[in-house]
Amino acid sequence: MTVPEPAFALAPERKKAASATPPPRPAGRWKPWLAFGVIAVITAVTLSPQVGIAFSFDAIVRNWQNGAAKIVQLLQPDWSFFPRTIPPMLETLEMAVIATAVSTVIALPLSLWAARLTNPNWVGRGLVRVILNVVRAVPELLYAAILVAMVGVGALPGILALVLFNVGIIVKLVSEAIESNDAGPLEAGRAAGGTQAQINRAVALPDVWPSFVNQVLYVLELNVRSGTVLGLVGAGGIGLLIDAVRTYFRYDQLSVIILEVLVVVILLELVSSAIRKRLV
Amino acid sequence: MSAVAPPRPSRTRTRLVASVVCVVVVVAFWSVDINWARLGNLPSEIVRYLWLMFSAPDWSKLGEALYQTWRSVEMAWVGTVFGIIIATPLSFLAAKGFGPPPVQAALRGVFAVIRAVPEIIIAIIILSVTGLTPLTGALALAVGGIGTLGKWGFESIDGVPRGPIEAVRAAGGSTSQVLRWGVWPSASPEFLSFWLYRFEINVRASAVLGLIGVGGIGDMLTSYTQYRQWGVVGMLLIVVVIVTIALDAISGAIRRRITEGAPVHDLER
Repeated sequence: MTVPEPAFALAPERKKAASATPPPRPAGRWKPWLAFGVIAVITAVTLSPQVGIAFSFDAIVRNWQNGAAKIVQLLQPDWSFFPRTIPPMLETLEMAVIATAVSTVIALPLSLWAARLTNPNWVGRGLVRVILNVVRAVPELLYAAILVAMVGVGALPGILALVLFNVGIIVKLVSEAIESNDAGPLEAGRAAGGTQAQINRAVALPDVWPSFVNQVLYVLELNVRSGTVLGLVGAGGIGLLIDAVRTYFRYDQLSVIILEVLVVVILLELVSSAIRKRLV
Repeated sequence: MSAVAPPRPSRTRTRLVASVVCVVVVVAFWSVDINWARLGNLPSEIVRYLWLMFSAPDWSKLGEALYQTWRSVEMAWVGTVFGIIIATPLSFLAAKGFGPPPVQAALRGVFAVIRAVPEIIIAIIILSVTGLTPLTGALALAVGGIGTLGKWGFESIDGVPRGPIEAVRAAGGSTSQVLRWGVWPSASPEFLSFWLYRFEINVRASAVLGLIGVGGIGDMLTSYTQYRQWGVVGMLLIVVVIVTIALDAISGAIRRRITEGAPVHDLER
């Protein structure tokens, strides 16, 4: 007599697989949702009319006619205005070049001073870093606004504002590049009996040279870009013209200036990225 | 026997570049319209003004300063959020292999153009629609943010390893599923960290936007500079520096936590 095999025994494997519980989901899946919630709440608060910036579609719809007319004007550049934009644009470029040159001269010794490898004295190093952190926290246009009130309208306050800002950026980026360098050659210099100044001159400087030139180019780009708007506070360059045409709502002339700025900035970016490729 | 030293590497090109740079700098100095005589008493002037600003900062306006700072930070926040909402889908379209090639090229061009225009000019254009309100500032920052966020976005999507994407495709995933399960897991730390970085940039830029009158701390600073109330200006600068450094520190700490992962503790447990 043959005992009929129970059907369920045919596939013990499959049965086991079906009843096995999947591995537990990783914990902490609520965290992204919490972060998302916090962001949503902050956004709602900042958009609310009482404490926030009062996002209102009404105003936009009401002013749409006016705005659309301005945009149409913007799309029809007044090319006869172009010759008048050239001298101020040149002034912007001059300011950018001068500011870059001056801040290069100031920033090179300071960056050596602000890096641990090239300045073992932590007091001086800390001092330079703290001062530059504070200087860097204020945007250059605010410096320009204050400097214009101090030294009068013109290119000089613009250049000073750019220099202040540039020194902060170059020193930060270059001193970080120095820190990431190999300490070996510097130790060799020390073992050979060099003073810190000699070591910096003979070993550290050739090492940081490419990154220094790189940052100077970057700063030149930044300077041209922000040099175009410094004139809005009276600090020289094409910004003065931007301020003038915007008070008369000559958006057809504004668009000529914007196109010119665009061309100059993008050309400069192409040139400096070509130079950078050669460096690296 | 005298060993011949190897010839020195040619330095003609270096010298050429150096002299061109020198000429450009000299020409710039020579042609710029500056009264150089004024430079002589500049240091003493600056010391005098620094003394006026910081010897006795005028703390009576601190309340208003904090309120205006809040408005600036709000502008920066809203600008960042709007920028993210607009730029993220666009950066997916601009990445290799997701959008059609013409759209890709066009979007990359648009990002480059936006990046070349300073936010303050974008604000001048927008204010004809929205007027001199903080909303203008926020929208200008959002539009300006599209340029940088879009660029960083497609660059980091291009850098995502292709394996997971192909795996999702092979399993029959749609494009949105590819983005969710193939791209997002490896791209999200970079996205989160440059979103925060853009917020830091916007905090600075929102202070600047005040200069054209959209409100916030920059607006207050220019007004008091024009009234020449140096005590208040000094106090405002102190507030700007502290707020900027504090927000940078918070956002920098979050960014490090995102890119470097959780700190390792309790290995024994």
